[in-house]
Order: sequence, then structure tokens, then C-alpha cells
Amino acid sequence: MRGGHYSAPMQRTHAPAFVGFFLIAALLGTAGTAYAKPWWMRGVDSNETDFLPPDVAFRVAARLDGNVVKVRWVIADGYYLYRQKIEVKAESPDLVVGSPALPPGVVKTDPYLGTQQVYMQQVEAVVPYSRIDAGAHPVQIKVTYQGCAEAGLCYPPITKVVFPTAGPSAVALSVPPYPWETIAIIGGACAFLLAGLVLRKGRKLDIPS
Amino acid sequence: MKTPGLRFLGIALVVLLGIWAGLKFHTVQRAPDAGVPVPAGMASAPNPAEPSELAAAPHPVIPAKLPDFSLQDLSGKPTSVDSWSGKSLVINFWATWCAPCRREIPLLKSLAADWAGRDLAIVGIAMDYPDKVRAFAAQFKIGYPVLIGEQDALDVAAKFGMTSPALPFTVFTDRRGEVVALFVGELHRPQADFILSEVQNLNDERIALPQARRAITEGLEAMADKHSG
Repeated sequence: MRGGHYSAPMQRTHAPAFVGFFLIAALLGTAGTAYAKPWWMRGVDSNETDFLPPDVAFRVAARLDGNVVKVRWVIADGYYLYRQKIEVKAESPDLVVGSPALPPGVVKTDPYLGTQQVYMQQVEAVVPYSRIDAGAHPVQIKVTYQGCAEAGLCYPPITKVVFPTAGPSAVALSVPPYPWETIAIIGGACAFLLAGLVLRKGRKLDIPS
Repeated sequence: MKTPGLRFLGIALVVLLGIWAGLKFHTVQRAPDAGVPVPAGMASAPNPAEPSELAAAPHPVIPAKLPDFSLQDLSGKPTSVDSWSGKSLVINFWATWCAPCRREIPLLKSLAADWAGRDLAIVGIAMDYPDKVRAFAAQFKIGYPVLIGEQDALDVAAKFGMTSPALPFTVFTDRRGEVVALFVGELHRPQADFILSEVQNLNDERIALPQARRAITEGLEAMADKHSG
């Protein structure tokens, strides 16, 4: 009985804070769903911003691993990169890079563009390199790639200068972006459910005897 | 849960999980986006009456009126968009390296044939190398006017709010040069016919511009829902 009397006011006091946390968590979780909306049809009156920018559709990062640079692209769901459009070149003056080794892609046949190999989800290029002046300049590479969305949209070729990180794989490389969306949504939904239960229970305990 | 202490602990754990997952997702989602301009195709409706709102907008907007521009045609002759003054326009931005753009060409040729002799012109704007475009236009027997550009075509795309262009995209204007719709992605016959019917209604003064824009937006969204459903 005492516990009941103790817990009810405590829950009442903290409930708004909990709900605030739940709301934040849920909002952060659902914010990502905007990217999943269909985007391919729009009139001028549309106010949606669910178009994937190219740097979100195709995330690129690189790391040094011994005498090779590993360049990885993480590709959003529903998007793909063309194998033959991937190029890696030296950007820093003392750097010499070889031809990138790429895994075989998925064969995609388009009646208007012919047969191409494409990558979905992710791909890693392994590029041998050497340095003429033994490390006087930071390693910089220039990567070029081009891709499209399955739903019928293509981006012009993108060229970026990338600074490879040293050592083991960076977080940006190893963490695929989209599972967090699911975790956040489920976490937010559970939090909402529990908040509702807590508030309901708190109200019951609040009834004066 | 048997005791309030355990119940509180359980709730606290779930709350922390929710916050942690939300923040983690937010960080992973947002960090690489820093400084990336949002493509303008999804920008707000044109609203020149509220410049302060436009200035505060995080991304460029679609212009209300057809902007002025000039590009070379297939023969290398500079051609101004004013050449089609008084006509409704279907301006299709495309490139030879873009598969959905290539798939649209038969539809655009068909529209050009269907609307021949009426106050509507199809104009292609190729963001590509001129020799490739000329070869492609000859191979696919493109009969409607095609303008070509590299950086200058990118500049024209930016005038339509597409500062980080994705292709294809198609702009529809009425005969007064009002931008009625900007369609991002591969255009199909039902959508093209629907938008052009609204442009026709607008030209015949059966509806006003805001109603036409709204009807097109809602109609396209209904088509998308039907297609995805």
C-alpha cells in the first residue's frame, strides 16, 4: 500500500518528462521515414523534401590498409552504382595509384542502355598505392562514380576528393545507415506504448480511496 | 513487474533504448549530409509574394515563371527559350548516359506528334557532350528541338531550382510561361497526358493557375498511391 502511494505521485511528477523523451525518440525515429516515401512524381505545389540527395544515396569513404586503399560506397535501398563508371585516381602530388579491383556486379539489362554491371547496397574497391616522397603529403584520392534510382532517376557523375583514414575500418564504413531507422522506430513505438501504460496505471492509483 | 522499483527500471531501460536508438540513427543519418544541398525538385511551390519565406527556405524553389535562358541547338546555333514564346512547353532535361531518360524519348516523340500544330512544343535539354547527343538524336530520330549544354545546361537546370540535378526531369509551362509542374524522374504516358490536360484547361481559362497546380500535385500523388497500392 505504501509503495502504491509512493509510486503514484512519482509517476505523475515524471510522466511529462517521460512523454517528452518518448516523443523525441519517436520523432527522431520516424524522421527517417521521409526518405522512404515515393518521390518520382511531383507537381509544383508539392512541398515534400523526400528526394534522396546524391551524397545520401551514395556514401563514400576510404581507409588505408597496408599498401592498398579500400574505398567503400554504401548505397541506399532502391539505388545502384554503375561498375564501369567507378574511377579512383591520385589527388595528392606524391601518390601513385593502380587500377581499382572491383568485385563483379549484378548484371542489369536495359533495352535503351544495354547490359551493365551494377552494385547495390555496398561495394568496396581495392586500390594499390605507393608514395613517392615517403609520406610528406597526406594521402588524398579522387573518386568518380555514377548511379541511379531503380524508380527511374539518375545522377550525373559525381567526383569527390576523399581523405582515407588510417587503420581499421571507420564507423562510417562499418555501420550501414538504415537498420537504425528500424531500431529507432521500434524503440519509439515501445516507449509510447509504455508511456501510455504508465500514465493509465498512474491515474488508477491516483483515485482517492 | 512485481515491484515499482523493477517497473521503473524496465521503463527507464526502454526510454534509454528509444533515446539512444533515435539519437544514433539521427547522427548516422545526418552527419554525412552536412553541407549537401537538397535537390530542388522537391522544393516548395513558387510563392513570389512572400520573399521572406523564400529567403528562409533551406533549399531552392521552383520558379513561378519560365526563366530566360539560351543554349545551342543540335547544329550549334544559340537558341533562346523565347523562340517558343506564346506556346505551352514541355521541357525535358536528359542525358545519353541516363537510362530512364532514354526510355522517355519514344513518349516525347509521341507527344510531339500528338500535339503537332497546336500551341505546345516539346523541347529537350541534353546535359551532355554535343557529339554524343547529335549521334543519339540521329539514331533515335528525335524530331523535336533539342538544346545541348554542359555547365551552361547545369546552370539552366539550377534556374528551375534543380541545383543538384538528377535526371530526367520535365518542366511543364502554360502558354503564358507560368511553370505549372516540375516532374522529377521518368515520365510515363498517363502522367504526361494528365498534366497536359490540366495545362490545356489552364490555357482555355477553364481553371486558374493555383487550381491547376494543386490538381496536378494531387492527381500525381493519387496515381502514385494507386501504382504503389
